[in-house]
Amino acid sequence: MSQSIGSQCNELKKEYDECFNKWYSEKFLKGDIRPECEELFKKYKDCVMNAVKQKQIDKLLVEARKDDPFTSSNSENKGKS
Amino acid sequence: MKLFEATHTFFYNWSQVSAANWRKYPNDNCPHVVAIDVLDRKVDPETGVLRTERLITCHQTIPGMLNRLCGGCTISYSREVSEIDPQNKVLKMTSCNLSMNHLINVTETVTYTEDPTNPSRTLFKQEARIKCGESISRFAGYIENFFIQRFRDNAAQGRQGFENVLMGQHDKL
Repeated sequence: MSQSIGSQCNELKKEYDECFNKWYSEKFLKGDIRPECEELFKKYKDCVMNAVKQKQIDKLLVEARKDDPFTSSNSENKGKS
Repeated sequence: MKLFEATHTFFYNWSQVSAANWRKYPNDNCPHVVAIDVLDRKVDPETGVLRTERLITCHQTIPGMLNRLCGGCTISYSREVSEIDPQNKVLKMTSCNLSMNHLINVTETVTYTEDPTNPSRTLFKQEARIKCGESISRFAGYIENFFIQRFRDNAAQGRQGFENVLMGQHDKL
């Protein structure tokens, strides 16, 4: 598995990536789009965003998202932190 | 502005390729990619499309004048947004640099689609645009040429690296 930008997040990333890869191949590609791994993702993402802020990349992300938002204005933002 | 285009055919079906996409790094051919993190991920309940936002961390030296222009940076960050449509078997990824984007803008779009003539194969198409910022426009030719060549080299290594990942994934099955 690849490393995380924050070395303290590597273990959380590994757990999340393993869960996601399994879900992707065994569920998503077979038509079951119900999300899984959400708890693992939340822990991992919280860690990553701390690392992103420490390295001051968060401001760069805000700018980039203005041009190409992650979610379109038509889609729901429910659950998006 | 400089443009780069490349196409390739992978001798693996689209599902295998799209799954391997998430396992592409690390690979020995792309040591410059040192970290990849998922920042957000959502399935659109209406379309079934999986959208993912990732942060890519690269470590690659830059020679001479360029190094001075960017203040001696060797670590750079890019943002990638991808969409996977499993119904139509399309994976599309767009990435742009976050670092040094006041000096240079590199935008890349990659698509993987099922070969309509042979579903056991996947078509790859890559396009990149490289443009210098106004503040260094008098060096634009030199700088854009440098980055286009680097992009071409990284792209070739990336394709080979991905082939190796696909082979490894296939061997495990």
